[in-house]
Formats: sequence, C-alpha cells, structure tokens
Amino acid sequence: MKNEKLKSIVSEALEGIKKALKLDEINELRNRFLGKKSELSSLGGLIATLPVEEKKTFGIEMNEAKQLISQAFEEKLNALKQKALEEKLKKETIDISLPSREVSLGARNPFYIVQDEMKEIFIGMGFDVADGPEIETDLYNFELLNIPKDHPARDMQDTFYIDENTLLRTHTSPVQARTMEKMNGKPIRIICPGKTYRRDDDDATHSHQFAQIEGLVIDKDINIGHLKATLELFAKKMFGEKREIRLRSSYFPFTEPSVEVDITCANCGGKGCNMCKGTGYIEILGGGMVHPNVLKMNGYDPEVYSGFAFGIGIERVAILRYGIDDIRKFYNNDVRFLHQFKKKD
Amino acid sequence: MLVSLKNVKQFVDLTGLSAEQIANGLTFAGVEVEEIKRLASGTNLVIGEIKTCEKHPDSDHLHILNVDLGEKYGVEQIVCGAPNAKVGLKVIVARVGAKLPGGEIKAGVIRGVSSNGMCCSLLELGVEEKYLTDYQKAGIEELDKDAPIGEEDVLGYLGLDDEVLNLKVLANRPDLLSLYNVAREIGAIFNRKVKIPNHEEIVTFNTKLKVSSKTEKCSQFSGKEVRNIKIKESPKWMKDYLMAMGVRSINNIVDIGNYVMLLTGQPLHMYDADKLASAELTARSDYEGPFVALDEKTYEIRKGDIVIANKDKPMCLGGVMGSLECAVDENTKNIYIEAASFDGATIRRTSSRLGLVSESSSRFVKGTNHFQSEYVLNFASELIKDLCEAKEFSDIVTYQEEKYEEKVVRTSCTRINGRLGTEFTSKEIKEVLERLNFKVMMNKDEFVIKVPDYRLDVTCDADISEEVIRLLGFQHVKSVLPRLDTKLGSLTQEQNRLKNIRFYLLDKGLDECVTYSLISKKEENSFNLLNDEEHYRILNPLTDEREVFRTHILHSLLKVATYNVARQNKNLALFETGHMISKASNSTHLAIVLVGKELRRGNMESIDFDFYHMKGLVEGIFDCLGIEASRYRFERNTTHLDELHPGKSADIIFQNKVIGKFGELHPNKIEEFDLGKLSAVALEMNLDSLLDAKVSTIKMSPISKFPSVTRDLALVVDKEVAAKDLIKVIKVTGRGLVSNAEVFDVYEGEHILSSKKSIAISVTYSSDDHTLSDKEIIDMENRIKFELTKQYKAELRG
Repeated sequence: MKNEKLKSIVSEALEGIKKALKLDEINELRNRFLGKKSELSSLGGLIATLPVEEKKTFGIEMNEAKQLISQAFEEKLNALKQKALEEKLKKETIDISLPSREVSLGARNPFYIVQDEMKEIFIGMGFDVADGPEIETDLYNFELLNIPKDHPARDMQDTFYIDENTLLRTHTSPVQARTMEKMNGKPIRIICPGKTYRRDDDDATHSHQFAQIEGLVIDKDINIGHLKATLELFAKKMFGEKREIRLRSSYFPFTEPSVEVDITCANCGGKGCNMCKGTGYIEILGGGMVHPNVLKMNGYDPEVYSGFAFGIGIERVAILRYGIDDIRKFYNNDVRFLHQFKKKD
Repeated sequence: MLVSLKNVKQFVDLTGLSAEQIANGLTFAGVEVEEIKRLASGTNLVIGEIKTCEKHPDSDHLHILNVDLGEKYGVEQIVCGAPNAKVGLKVIVARVGAKLPGGEIKAGVIRGVSSNGMCCSLLELGVEEKYLTDYQKAGIEELDKDAPIGEEDVLGYLGLDDEVLNLKVLANRPDLLSLYNVAREIGAIFNRKVKIPNHEEIVTFNTKLKVSSKTEKCSQFSGKEVRNIKIKESPKWMKDYLMAMGVRSINNIVDIGNYVMLLTGQPLHMYDADKLASAELTARSDYEGPFVALDEKTYEIRKGDIVIANKDKPMCLGGVMGSLECAVDENTKNIYIEAASFDGATIRRTSSRLGLVSESSSRFVKGTNHFQSEYVLNFASELIKDLCEAKEFSDIVTYQEEKYEEKVVRTSCTRINGRLGTEFTSKEIKEVLERLNFKVMMNKDEFVIKVPDYRLDVTCDADISEEVIRLLGFQHVKSVLPRLDTKLGSLTQEQNRLKNIRFYLLDKGLDECVTYSLISKKEENSFNLLNDEEHYRILNPLTDEREVFRTHILHSLLKVATYNVARQNKNLALFETGHMISKASNSTHLAIVLVGKELRRGNMESIDFDFYHMKGLVEGIFDCLGIEASRYRFERNTTHLDELHPGKSADIIFQNKVIGKFGELHPNKIEEFDLGKLSAVALEMNLDSLLDAKVSTIKMSPISKFPSVTRDLALVVDKEVAAKDLIKVIKVTGRGLVSNAEVFDVYEGEHILSSKKSIAISVTYSSDDHTLSDKEIIDMENRIKFELTKQYKAELRG
C-alpha cells in the first residue's frame, strides 16, 4: 500500500480493534472506520478527483484497506463471541452431584425375579407355561397323584380345607394331572409356577403360603438321566456354571424312583461349611419318574409312555441365591428389602 | 425313628464304619438321617471320690470338696454347689479343660476359694431331662459304691457312650420303624452280615382265650396268655436300651412291650386277664359310645373306630390306647398279650380325631407286617420269662383272614436300565436285590422277583428300579438331555400381556409385592372395590387372621403401605398382580397403592402422588397393550364413597363394564391405615378383559406432508364443566381440520369468579392434502368458539 493516508487509517483501525475488549467498542470502531461518515468513506469520495491512472491504483488500495479492516473486525468479533459463549457456559456450570430428576426404577420382589427367570430358562428348553387353580379338588391334589384318602403321605402335607373335597393346593403337582387330562395321551413338556398353601405356622423357615414351579415331561423312552440333565442345566443357569448337582433317593407318592436334588453349596463351593452343615451340598428340589399308577390314572399307558416330574420351591431358590435369612421377608415387602433387587437380569 | 448304634450293632456288623459313614449311606439310599445325637458327651472326665466336704465360709450353699481322682491325677480341691455332696460319694469329675455341652471347665476362684474342676450331674453331660429323676436333676450324679476311682472312660462306664441316628422315615418305608429292619437296611447298603435272632415258642398250657374279628379293619389278631408275672423295675440294660431309642422306662412289662415294638415294628397290647369278664377278645368296628382310656380321660367312640371288645364292652381302642378298666398295674398277675394288624386309614382317622398319636398308632397308620405275630409273641414271652419271673405260658391263638402269599414282581434288566438311564448288568442287579433279601430268579434278561414280607412298599417294576438305583447310586445315571421334537416354548397371550403390564409398572418406578392370599373376614370386606362376590372360607384356619381366601388385593397392599410407613419408608409406589378366586369366578387382578411423593431418584422436585398419577398409569397399561383411548373411558366413581375420596375417584370402563376403580383415599381411611398426613392413591383392577381383548395389528398410516398449525384457546367455564366435554366439542366441530386438542392449563382463583374456572386448550389444525390458509383456520376457530359458547356458555379470554 502506497497511500500513506490509507496506511495510517488501516494501522490505526487494526490497533483499535486489537485493543477493543467489548462488543460495544467493536461496533463503535466499525462505525468509525467503515461507517458512512468514516475517514475511509470520505477518502473514497475523493476518487473522482484523481487522475485516471491513479484512480485504478487508489481503488485497489482502498478496497484492500477496507478488506483488511473488515477481516480484522470479523476475526475480533468471532473471538469476542467465542469468549462470551465460553463465559456464559462457565457461568452455567451446575453441581453434577445433585440428585437426578428421573423416576427411579421399580424393584421386583426377589420372589418374582426367580419366578420370571425360571420361566425363561424352561421356555428356552421348549417348555410351555401352564396355570392351575389355587383352590383345588381332593381328586387333583391327591387322588390322581397316587395319594388316596387316608394315605399316610397326606400327613406330610397339612392341608387347608374349604370343604371335604375342596382345598388349597398343597403343591403345584395337581397341574400334572390337569395337563395330562387336557393333553389326552399326547406328549407333554410344561412348567407350572404358582402359589401353594400348607397349614404351617409362619416362622423364619416355614410359611403357610409359598410357591413352587412344577415341571412335567411325558414322552416315549424318558429316563432319570433326562431329568438329571435337565435339572443340571437349570441349576447352572440359575446358580452359575460352576455348580454341580447330585441326586439322592427319596419318596413322593407320585414318582418312582423319587429323588431329592442337592446343589453344591454357594458359600463354600462344596468343601463343607456352616451353611450346608458341613456336607458341601444344599437341598433344592424334589422330583422323579412319574409313577406308573399316575400315568395310568391320567390316561397314559405306562408301557408306552414314561415321564419325569419335578417341583422347585421358588422362595427356596431365592433364599439360596440371595442369602435371604427369613422367608417372611418376601411377604412383608419392606421397601428397604425390595429396593435391593432392582437389577434386571 | 431313633437308632442307637450300640443297639443296632448287635444285629449287623458295623466294624470300621463311623456314625457319619452310616448316616451318609442311609441318606443316599433314601433314608435321611436328620442328625447324629450323642446320649452324653464330655472330655477330661474321671471318676472320683469325695474325701472331705466342708461348708464354704462365704456361702450358704457351696461346699469345698477334696476329691480323690486316683493315682494319675491325685486329689483336687473343688467348690461345689450340689446339695447332695458328702464324704465318701463317688462322683463324675470334669477336670480343668473338660469340654462339656455347656462349655469348657476352667480353673477358678469361687468366692475366694480356688476350684479345679467340677462335679457333674448327668444333665451337665447333656443327658435329656426326661430320662432323669428330680433328685438326679437337683444335684450331682451319685455313682455306685464300687465305681472305680480314676476311671477315665466315664461315658463307657455309664453306658452313655452311644451314638444315635435320628432317621426321617418316609411314608413308603414303615418297615424301618423296626430296629431289625434298620439293621437289614444297613446290611444291604454296606453289604454286611446281618443276624436277626430266632426266638423259640414257650408253651406250658392251653389257653381258654378266644380271639376273633368281626370287622375287615382287623385282618389278623393273635393272643397269648401268661400267668404269674411279677411287675417291677426293669434292669439297667433295658433302661439304657430304651433311653437310647428315645423311650422312657416305666416297668418291666410295659418296657417289654415297647422294646419288642422298637425291634420288630409290631405294637403289642397287654390286658390284665383277671379284669376281663370272660376269656374272649373280639375286634369290632360297630361300637359307639364313651370309652375311658388308660390316661383316665373319656373319649367318644364312633362307629367305624376299631375296638377290641369283651362281652360288648370295649377293652381297647385298637392300635390307639387301652382301657383303664383292664389296664396292667403293679398288682397284675395274669395277662393276655395282643399282637394284631389294624387298617391304617381307620387308625389314622381315629387317632387324629381324638388327638391320640402314639408310637404304636403311627406304626399302624404307616403299615405293619401282618405275618410276624408268632415271632413277636415268642420274642415277648422270652423276655417276660427273664424279666418278670414268669413260668406259665399258653399256646398262641390266632385269627387270620388273609393267607400269606409271597409278592412276586416281574421285570427285566432292559426295563430297569431304560427307566434309570443306566447300563447295569443283570448280575449287578441280581446281586444288589439279593442284598435286600429279595429272591431273584433270572432268565437271561428277565427277572422274577419275590419281595420280603416286611417290604410293604414294593409292588411294581418301577419300585424294583428304585431299589436298584438307591443302592447302586445315582452317580451311575448318565446325564443326557432328552431328544424331543424341537418346539418353541412360549407364554400364552394372557401370560405375555400380564408380563408386559408388570414390566411397564416396574419401569414406571413401582415396586412389585407379593402378599398372602389368606386374610381375615374384616379385611376381605375392606376395599373390596370391584366384586362383592362370595369368597371361600377355610374350614380349618390357623387363625381368624387367615380365614378367607381373598377376592381382591388392595387391602393387603394397603397393609404393606402401613407396614412401611411405620418403618419410616414414607414414599411408596407398590403393585401386585395375582389370581383371585371367588365362588363365582376366577380372575386376574392388579392393585396399585401410591403413598407420599413420587419416587424420584432425588427428592428435590418430587411432588405428592395424586389422582392423576394413577390415571396416567392406567392409560399407560392400555397403551402398552395397544388398546386405543377411544375403547375405554373414565367415569366418576359413585360407590365405596367411605373408602375413596368422593370427588377424586373414578371407574375404569372397558367393553361397557366397570373393570377397575381408583382414586385418592378417603381421609378417614388414611387415618385408619396409619398413613399420617401422606397422600395416598389406590387402584384395584380386573385384568381379565384386557388380557384377552382383541387388539388390531399395527398398520402404519401416512404422516401429512403439509405443515400443521397450533393455536391456543383460553376459555372460562363453570367449574362443573369437564375438560373432556370441551375437547369433544372442539373435535366434533373441527372434524377434518382439527387433528388434536389438548388441555395445557387450568386456573381457578384471582380474576375469575369463584364458580368458574379458566381452561387453556391448544388446538392443532392440519390437512392431508394442502397447506392450510389463515382464513380456513380462523373460520374454523370461530365456529369452534361459537359452539363452545352455545353448548357450555364458555367465555373467551383475551
């Protein structure tokens, strides 16, 4: 730039812009250096008076000067806006440790966690979920399960009666008989979760109301090995891959042979501790091969069909899994207890 | 069943087996051992003799003893509080360091006098109180004069060095209520030699006694007469024997009855022959009337109960209890012994009706061996001869309806392995069955098996497979998943919808509860919002609190709220679903209770739960099932006005039926449930019609390409006008142009008459086929305003 005047205007403007700190100042400077009444503007008016050969050069230099100043304004403006934004954001900083606003997640009573999960495990193995009535007849609850009237096994299950032939089911097993009746000789693969009732006084380990999941598979050539493998799969899913099960001989009137199933103790991993009374195992469920009488009474030919059945206590599984020390905790529903079970599995 | 190892050892070789091993073996074979008890325990015990006994200077009951513990331990000074301590007494001393059931004995100073050890009572060694006399319990045990000083095997000396297994005998194995059969079982499990003694018949005269049965409930009845018996205390071996098996000694003849029953499983009954009017005993089941039993109480006998009668008079309630009239007492000389078999079901009914459950009745209930009475009577006679000094024994007279036939089961190796999932050989199976005293005839794969008479439970080939596996062990079962047709396991539509509702409520922050189905009558009648259908009542409830099978959940859930509020858990959002059963129907219910404030993660902005929270949850339930808002509606609730707030409660109407009710609690009920000043909202809903409602599948409808316009209307109307009615006018009038109308503010108060309220509604206008012009919108808005004014006297605000 040759024109001294322009040169000094540009340097004065750039200097001013550089020093400016606020938006107001910038706007004022913009007016002063680029506005209609600015020196540059009045210099521009002189262009007409210049000789032709200078006009071009002056014009170019004039534009150059304007551009330089505008660009500086632009840059400064952006810088100031950026700074202002940063300041604004800084001011807006919040205490992120304050409580959040979202509604908290509800908690499932562990009773339902276990019940839901058990359903999923067996559904995954191709089982359907059957429902049965909690108020049952003597026929389904006992007779059709090979427990005739006055059978001593009835003493094992103290029963709430509605009348002579109607009662609160003492186990989920009546659903076995109901399903066999419904399926009428066709293969069966069901589970039935549900509430059951026994005439027991409530204490830490007894409850007049509790829940079971009944399982029943009827098909050709079913044997105890199938029961063992099915329950093994269940136990590993429910309690972890490292857990082993073992079978012990037992007695239920509607299965033969009958078994109690123990699982390696979670507390000691099978070495023996207080929780498992030194045995390394804890009892979790009962089952067995469906008794030929039961098959016969419910319309299945024991020479053609065989099956296995099992019953798992829902609270029992939850108690073992979560270390719950009192069965009444499920039914009290203290929210300090419930809120420990929010995790979704 | 208590099994003393000392006793059972007489009949089966237990060499090298610990109590734990035996217990484990039994448990795995299906005879669970619940615990291993020791009759008494203690270490560092020694027999001593009190040499000096002086009163403690600082006590009115303590003595300072010098006790001679023999050569090895010398004389120790012991401070003792027993009233019977005296010079010359032989006593059990627990030396310093002894571990007794109650703790460890330490050297100490008692009121200034040093004491090194303790003189013990049997109680302190852990012997159960019921076996001890009051005298024994009050002081230290007084040993025989000839007790060896310095003897360290004190429990052995006392005969208390026994281990007792507590067997849980399940209903299928009544045979194990006999020590002989337990010995056989242990012998089979461990493949040990079993030796059950034989007893010779003793006969010195022919009895005049006649036994018979006039009821099919007594299929076998044997009797024997014994003359000139002497009733006295039993010898120590008998007392110890019974104590180890959990039975208290009474006198020689009673003890013999119990002893024979414990060993053979056959209950006996003794009659004083001189107290009977004639020498005949008849089993009958047609008697009714009062009966005075041994315990001196009178019981009402009904037809069907088994009695043993003499000349039409009941002398014994068969299998349950004898009569007082012919009871054996200390003066009894001549007796009849009864060994009979009674029908278990009848005994079960009689004994549970009368509350008379005994060792013998429970054996009959579970089942006895009908074919061993001769053996049992011979056994008893032998003992009576020894212990009661009797010399005159009659022959045995017997009534027996059934003839003994061996039970035969046919099966095969293939069938057994097929059921078990095992690969046992015929030889293995035969060998194990023979260990169990089955007689096995084998023809290649086939078995013909004869069952021993005491195994009442074995009747079919499934039973044989159980015998095989319980002895050979389940570790032989190959774990293989069944090969079944592949199919998708799944939930039914109802199960799936219920699950969706539950998980929706959980995501909305509600906690899922489970409560008892049995409630009191009063509770059943409280907050029974939906059905007044008749409930089921329990015939034999444990308490009045659990007498009714509930037909609704809400009361139980409100009680959960009370429980929590009492524990300072004041903000609650609870729900429960469940199957309800009444005499009229079965249905699935949902109940919700909201108490206090909304459960946000923080409490900073939470607001009190109110009617509209619950309304929103209900709408959400319909939403997640895909049921459009047009298919259900809310109407003001007009019932249960003393339970729900009359102005803040509603019915849920679906398919023209009230399927649910909800609302804020009546203030009186908030007080009744001890909810303090908290707000509380409750709901009960019958989900049945939702769970099987038809829901159309989703079909996408196109979204208008043209912009919509939203304009607000502010109206002042009478307070009673419901917002939904204004919305309806707007939608009906604006059909085709108005796509939505929603209330966004309601105001009452300053600048508005107290009888009025201001409602602000935002109205959305849109068209599927063109961009709306201002004129179109304004014209429509004017028509809407006109209709609102006409129908609801709505005034428009600025």
